Amino acid sequence: MASTAISEKSAWRSPPRRPDFWLWVLLPTALVLGVIFFAPIVDLILASLHEMAGPGQVSTSFTLANYRTFLTDPFYFGILLRTCWLGLLVVGCCLIVGYPVAYYLARTQSRWRGFLLFLTISPLLISAVVRNMGWFPLLDQAGLVNWLLLELGVVSSPLRLINNFTGVVIGLVHALLPFMILTLTTVIQRIDVDLEEAAASLGAGPWRVFWRVLLPLSLPGVVSGALIVFTMAISAYTTPAILGGNRVLVMATYIAQQFRTVLNYPAGGTAAAILLVFAAMLTILALRVRTAEAAGS
Amino acid sequence: MTRRMALRAVVLAVFAFLLAPVIIVVIASFNGGPILSFPPEEFTLRWFEQIKPSFVDGLYVSLIVATSTALLSIAFGIPAVLALSRGNFPARDALNSILLSPLMVPALVTGVALYQFSLAFWDLTRISLGGTITGLIIGHLTFGIPFAARAMLAGHARFDYALEEAALNLGATPMQTFWRVTIPVLRPSIISGGIFAFVMSLDDVPIALFMGGGNATTLPVRIFTTIEFDFSGDVMAVAAVIVVASVVLMLLLDRLVGIEQLFGARH
Repeated sequence: MASTAISEKSAWRSPPRRPDFWLWVLLPTALVLGVIFFAPIVDLILASLHEMAGPGQVSTSFTLANYRTFLTDPFYFGILLRTCWLGLLVVGCCLIVGYPVAYYLARTQSRWRGFLLFLTISPLLISAVVRNMGWFPLLDQAGLVNWLLLELGVVSSPLRLINNFTGVVIGLVHALLPFMILTLTTVIQRIDVDLEEAAASLGAGPWRVFWRVLLPLSLPGVVSGALIVFTMAISAYTTPAILGGNRVLVMATYIAQQFRTVLNYPAGGTAAAILLVFAAMLTILALRVRTAEAAGS
Repeated sequence: MTRRMALRAVVLAVFAFLLAPVIIVVIASFNGGPILSFPPEEFTLRWFEQIKPSFVDGLYVSLIVATSTALLSIAFGIPAVLALSRGNFPARDALNSILLSPLMVPALVTGVALYQFSLAFWDLTRISLGGTITGLIIGHLTFGIPFAARAMLAGHARFDYALEEAALNLGATPMQTFWRVTIPVLRPSIISGGIFAFVMSLDDVPIALFMGGGNATTLPVRIFTTIEFDFSGDVMAVAAVIVVASVVLMLLLDRLVGIEQLFGARH
């Protein structure tokens, strides 16, 4: 039969390939990633188990003291708390600002929809450093926003909006909002418009429709968007470093400081290992939520 | 009706927020007065004339590193993707997760890990990787390979094996089948994976900051370390040039591959 002749000749799916053939194909890539990624990460974690012996030097004896200090000393633990607080604020702002936009993009029949999706994604393709620079002429004491507020008489003296925690929140919301909008748009699109109309025709006001119909049905998207944005917010370095003006100490800026100026590698390595575990666990959780959501729909 | 208007107003305001910092960079770069003040005082082109050669050097470094990263990510990604998609060996799913796992690690953590590792490597071999182009490419491959692999794994999921069977049946050797059928069929996902690795490499600060230095300093790192201390007009002019170049590239990309598809590779 013709079909058996074909499958006999198929080199990709049937023997002659020995079972370990594909393992050998995988080997070079696995080796490369092992050497350039996994070895340095293991080395970093090992360094966090030593004490500092002078600037840039690491002692030879193993200890868990770095972790004990980081998790009990109020100064270090405060950095971890501040990082989480930053993540929560950014997630909250992204949800509030992103939800209406996602709803609009999911429901609109406008011919501008494609263009608006393009605009949502486009900031992501412009260098993060450049996007962050743009906040300075906007948020500086002499910048556009303060000029507007002063002209309109909203404030009597310029607000400090940059080189502090506020600036970092604004910058991260801007950088991560597209991820929230796209995640939410996908989920809201799958909700039947009829459900909203049914609720409205039975007398529910817009708020009630939102709280009782839209929000519960879009909850999987809200959760996975929040997890993605939170993880990226606590992992970000460039934005907190630029917009915090060297004054905002979160995990990422603290780690960089230990390696760039303080040269306390064990302390930096400890914070890096904690951030790594935290971010990896959140990413795995986000993937689980996504898989569960895909299985449910 | 008013509700719809309110929603539109909110949407407009959010898009203004998304675009504002990018647009203001271009406006500010023509400001002859204090660079951060608004409204601009007088129109000037002087910042563009004052762009330092070090930024042009940085651009060269960035382009070399990003191109090498994209090509090597594809070269290492394709065999891994084929093996993970077609092989039937134990722990395949685990190996798949391990291949993609560098994307879970914050780039800064990878950056400091590589930095420390390059110091240890120098102690052992007296070969210096920090502050070299090679070091930068190695650093960017840590996310380039997984990003490219992810795009290609998604592309390979729709692979039609009948095409390969037909080629083999018609007398093509396995090698011919690979180059003339397999690779062309996977080409769209190979291209979007490569572009993705390229764009991420151009954008990166944390890894290039710790692996670079001296002559091996990328453009974003050059800008980053400059504005850490001093916010001058010529840096704003460099940023304005990057914005315009990015917009042109984006429009080209949108025509060529579709920007949404490209973005889909990220998650």
